[in-house]
Amino acid sequence: MSLGRFILKRALQGVFVIWGVVTVVFLLRFVTPGDPITFIAPLDASPALRQRIAAELGLNKPLYVQYFDYLAELVRGDMGYSYISGTEASARIFARLPATVELAVVATLVAVALSIPLGVVSATRRHEPADYAATTFSLAGISTPNFWLGIMLVLVLSVQFDLFPTSRRALGFVDALGYLAQGNPNGLIVWAKYITLPAITLGTYFTALITRLTRSGMLDELGKSYVRATRAKGLPESLVRYKHALRNTLIPVITVLGLQLGSLIGGAVITEAVFAWPGLGTLVINSINARDWPLIQGCLIVIGTSFVVVNIAVDALYAYVNPRVVYD
Amino acid sequence: MADDRQSRISRRRYLSLVGSAAAAASVAGCAGGDEIQTPSGDGNGGGNGSGNGGEFAVTITQGQLDSGLDPHDHRETTTDIVLMQAYEGTLDRDAEGKVVPSLAEEYEQVDDTTLRLFVRDGVKFHSGDELTPEDVAFSINRIVNNDVGGLASPQKDQLAGVTEATVVDGERAVDVVSDGVNPVLVSLLASYGDVMQKSWVEGRQKNQINSEVNGTGPFKLERYTEDEEVVYTKFEEYWRDPAAVDRVTLNAAAESSTRVNQLVSGETDIVVNVPPQEVGRINNQGNARVEAVPSTRIIYNAMRYDVEPFSSREFRRAMNYAIDLETIVKEVLSDFADATSQPTLEGFVGYNPDTDIYPYDPDEAERLVEESGHAGASIELHTPVGRYLKDLEIAQAVVGYINELPNVDATVNQRDFGTLAGELTTGSIEDKPHFYLIGWGNETFDASQTLIPLLTSEGVLTSWSNEEFDDLVAQSNAETDENAREQLLRQANQVAHDEAPWIFLNRQYSVYGASGRIEWTPRRDESIKAYSISPK
Repeated sequence: MSLGRFILKRALQGVFVIWGVVTVVFLLRFVTPGDPITFIAPLDASPALRQRIAAELGLNKPLYVQYFDYLAELVRGDMGYSYISGTEASARIFARLPATVELAVVATLVAVALSIPLGVVSATRRHEPADYAATTFSLAGISTPNFWLGIMLVLVLSVQFDLFPTSRRALGFVDALGYLAQGNPNGLIVWAKYITLPAITLGTYFTALITRLTRSGMLDELGKSYVRATRAKGLPESLVRYKHALRNTLIPVITVLGLQLGSLIGGAVITEAVFAWPGLGTLVINSINARDWPLIQGCLIVIGTSFVVVNIAVDALYAYVNPRVVYD
Repeated sequence: MADDRQSRISRRRYLSLVGSAAAAASVAGCAGGDEIQTPSGDGNGGGNGSGNGGEFAVTITQGQLDSGLDPHDHRETTTDIVLMQAYEGTLDRDAEGKVVPSLAEEYEQVDDTTLRLFVRDGVKFHSGDELTPEDVAFSINRIVNNDVGGLASPQKDQLAGVTEATVVDGERAVDVVSDGVNPVLVSLLASYGDVMQKSWVEGRQKNQINSEVNGTGPFKLERYTEDEEVVYTKFEEYWRDPAAVDRVTLNAAAESSTRVNQLVSGETDIVVNVPPQEVGRINNQGNARVEAVPSTRIIYNAMRYDVEPFSSREFRRAMNYAIDLETIVKEVLSDFADATSQPTLEGFVGYNPDTDIYPYDPDEAERLVEESGHAGASIELHTPVGRYLKDLEIAQAVVGYINELPNVDATVNQRDFGTLAGELTTGSIEDKPHFYLIGWGNETFDASQTLIPLLTSEGVLTSWSNEEFDDLVAQSNAETDENAREQLLRQANQVAHDEAPWIFLNRQYSVYGASGRIEWTPRRDESIKAYSISPK
C-alpha cells in the first residue's frame, strides 16, 4: 500500500473515531450533574427566565433532535455557540489552539533535544558518573509533579531573580516571525522569554521519560549481534552508535513521542493554569466548570483530531526510520 | 543512501544543537526586547511600567475575564468590572455605596409608579455622538423588554418591577415606569442599567456588540482579545475630568498564586481575591500592599424550616449559639470578614443596629437542643468548595463546633457548586438540601434585595416561611416614605435574627493586592474603577 493510500485509510478511520468522541461527549452531558442553565442564569432567576434561556439554547428539544442538529452543524463546520458568552465556539477554540500547539511543540522539541543525547550518553557510558547523573535526572523528572516544578521555577527564576516573566503569553510565534521578517529579532526574544518556563515545566516529565526509553533502547541495541558485526567490520564507534543502534532505538521513541505530543495538546491544563497560558487546556476546564457544552464538545473534537493526525504522522514516520515497516 | 545521510546524527551535531538550545534559553532569560508591541504591552518581559513616553498604564488582573462585551447580556461581577470602565448608568454609587448622579443629573418621583430621570447634557459616546434621552429609554427597555434591542436580557430581574421607559415630550428626561410602588428603583438604577447608544446597537449584530464597545465612560476600547485581555485608553472627551490613567489593561489568571506572582513581580497593578495565606508575601515584598474592604456579600448556613430538626426555632437558635463566630472570623478568615447578626449587612438600608451577634454559648445551645426535642439529631451541612473565600474551612469549623455539643452530630458534604446551585434554584423548597452554606451578594445596598429572594415565603431562593416576616417585608415594599420603610425593614431583620432561619456567619471581605506605584482605594460593591486610580 502506498503512503497516500495508507494516510487516506487512516484518515477515514479517524473520522469514525471523531464521530465516536462526539457521540460519547454529547451523551455525557445528559448524565453529568449540573444543568447549564444553573450557570447561565443568576441564582435568583425566575422559572420563566430559565425556561426562556433553555428555549434559546435549544435545550428543551428532545435528545435525538439535539444530537442530529449538532451533527448537522458539525458537518457544516459549525461547533455552535458558547452558552456563556454567546460567541462562536469554533472561533474561541481556534483562537486558543495556537498557544497550546506552540507550547506542546516547544516542550517536545526541548525534551527531544535534551533527552536523546542524555539517553545515548547514559547508555554508552554505563555505570560511569554521566550515566548516574542522567538516570538521577530522569528519575527526578518523572517523579516531580509539574505543578510544583512550575511554581518553583516562577518563584526562583521570575520572582526572585527576575529572569523571566511569571506568566501569560505576550505574543505568538507567528507574530514573532513577523517581527523577524521586518528585521526585528526582539519579537523572538520576547516570545522565548514567555514560553521558556512553561515549556520546561511541561517538557520535564517527557524529557525524563524519553531519556529512560533511549537509554534502555540503546543498551538493548548495543548488545545485539549486528552491532558486534559492525564493530568487527571496523566501523567507527560513532557510526555504530548513531547510524545503527540509535536509529533502531528511535522507533519506540517515536511512538511515545506521538502519543505524548497528542496528550500535551489536550493535557497541558495544569501548566496552562500555573502560567495563565491562554491555551486549550484552561478553556476545557473553564468550560467544564461552567457546563458550557458547545465549547467542551468543540475542544474535545479538536483534541481528538490532534491525536488522530499526530498518530497518522507517527505511523508514516515509522517507514522513514525503519524501511522494514510496511503499510497495510 | 541519501536518506541514510540525512538521518545520520553526529555527536558533534548533537552537542551543537544542545548548545544552541541552551544559549537561546539563556539569552531569552536575560535579554530585553525593545520595540515590540505585544498584546499586553509588556514586550519587555515584565513590568507594566509607565509605558511609552511617560504614559501611566495600569493592569488589573481578575480570576477570569468577561463573557462578552454586551453590558446587558451578562450577570457576572467579572464582566461588570471589564465593562464599567467604558459604560455608565443613569445613577451611580460612591465608594461607600451612596447613590450619586451619573448620566442622569437629577431624578424625581412623579407619582407612585413613575420615576423621572433628567438626562445630563454634553455627554458623548465614544463614537463621538451626543447622549440623548432616547438612548437612555432604549437601554432600560432593552433590559426589561425582550422585544427591544435584539436581546432577552438576563438582567431583567435586576430592574424588578420596571415595565418600560419613555422619553418625556419637550424635556431632556425619561420616565421609568414600574408596575406598582417601587421603593428600591433608585437603588436599582444606581447599580444596574448601563446606557448604550440606540443607533449603535441597532446597527450591529450580536457578535459585534459582544466584541466592540461604545459607552460614555472614561475609557474607550483599544483592543479586545477574547479570553486574553481587554485594553482601554483614556477617553479625552469624557464628561467629567479625563482619567489620570492613560491606558488600562484587564486580564485574568485563574490561580491566585499566579496573580500574586504577577503583582509582586510588577507585571500587574491590582489583583483580586488574594487568599489570606498570600497576604504576608505581598506585604513583605515592599513593592505592593494588601487592600481589604467589607463587600456586599453575606455567607450563611440556611436551615430549611419545613424539615426536622430545623423546623424547631429552638434548634435553629441552638445552632447559632453553638458556633464561636469570632474565632472563625479570626482564625479561618484571618480577620478578612465581619461577623453578622442578621440577613442585612451594616450600611444597607434596613440594617438593624440593635441586634446583637449570637454569643458563643455551648451550654445554652445544648439546653435549646434538648428543649427542641431533637437531641441526638444528625445533620449534614452541604457546602460548595472554592466558591467563596474559605467556604469549606468555614463549613468544617461550623460542623466542628456543632459536634462539640453532646446531643447533635454533624457532618460536611462537599458539593460541586453547579450541582448545589441547581438544587437551590428549582423554585421548590423540597429540592433544597436541609442545611447548606451559600453566599449572597447584594449590590443595591438595600435590605429588600436580600430579604425578598432569600427569606420570604415566595422568595426564589427561600428556605423559610414566617407570616410576621412576610407581612413586614410586604409592607415595606408598598411604603413610599423612606423612614417608615426603613423601620419596617429593621423590624423584619429583628424577626429574622430572633427566629434564626440561618446560622448567621460572616460578611465576606474583598481582598485585593495593589502595586505600590498606584493610589487606589477598594470599594464595598466589588467594583474596580480605573477612573479612581492615580499615580503615587
